[in-house]
Amino acid sequence: MMVPNDAIVGEIISCKDCSSEYEVAEISNGNVLLKPAEQVGEDWGE
Amino acid sequence: MKVSITFDRLRWEEKALSDAAEAAGLEATLIDSKGLIFEIPKKNEELGDVVLQRCISHYRSSLLTLTLEGAGLKVINSYAVAETCSNKLATSIALANAGVPTPRTFLALTSEAAGEAAEKLGFPLVLKPFTGSWGRMVTVVRDRGTLQSLMEYKEELANPQEQHMYYLQEYVKRPPRDIRAIVAGDSIVACVHRIAPPGEWRTNVARGATSKAFKPDKELHEMILKAARAVGGGILGVDAMEPDSGYLVHEVNNTVEFKGAQSAVGTDIPAQLIKYVAQVARR
Repeated sequence: MMVPNDAIVGEIISCKDCSSEYEVAEISNGNVLLKPAEQVGEDWGE
Repeated sequence: MKVSITFDRLRWEEKALSDAAEAAGLEATLIDSKGLIFEIPKKNEELGDVVLQRCISHYRSSLLTLTLEGAGLKVINSYAVAETCSNKLATSIALANAGVPTPRTFLALTSEAAGEAAEKLGFPLVLKPFTGSWGRMVTVVRDRGTLQSLMEYKEELANPQEQHMYYLQEYVKRPPRDIRAIVAGDSIVACVHRIAPPGEWRTNVARGATSKAFKPDKELHEMILKAARAVGGGILGVDAMEPDSGYLVHEVNNTVEFKGAQSAVGTDIPAQLIKYVAQVARR
């Protein structure tokens, strides 16, 4: 999975193949830890 | 001056706002609200002069804003504004009471009453959830049979507000586009047409609508600012339509997304929004 160089903790990364979304949980010594992103909620929006 | 930007889903907008704040010489901190805990009463210790609330979840945003205001912090937008904008009925009431032209709207508290309201509105009509965004569950209802089916589906929902109560609005004949104005305080920062994609009547960018720069005339300019004031003001996305009968404001958004608008206008939207944030912090 490609993570942009300027990604920061909290950013959402999408898998190009399956569109699954992951959130950047930690960046340490060039290693990026991802966790599954929250699913869209009924109260989400603008 | 320190600005905290709280989020729960970091989008292009929040990063752009943070960059704009730094460029303006402010100390900006992006804070993931999902990891925050507060003992009540919260003390205003580390979140700075002003908080720009950018959570995508209404309830998370609302409770966080309530807590931060309780600690004496300035939050953009305020709890009162967020509550008005996040409930379509509250928005309609605020617009109507301020004399802002808005589509004819009914509240019905049972499915039987919704049928009566539909007769008064006539078909087609638009059925909307009270909360939610991006055009989700917003439906054109073209006849009584379809309304009956939708009501049966709604009765199966888990959310009591959406299960038994109805927000019905007139279907406004308009070009396949609407108007999105991004407002900060007393200024319109940017204004665009949102053009619905083929086969879609909704004009949400989240539904594939495209944006094109648009300059409002004097009447619409004043109407947009009046709508923003009607809900309490702040950083807002005011949505309007342009039927033959004249402009109508149909929605005001509390956590406005502006990536689509930014692609269509030359104005640096995040820089202008941060300028307003700094003004609020100095008050």
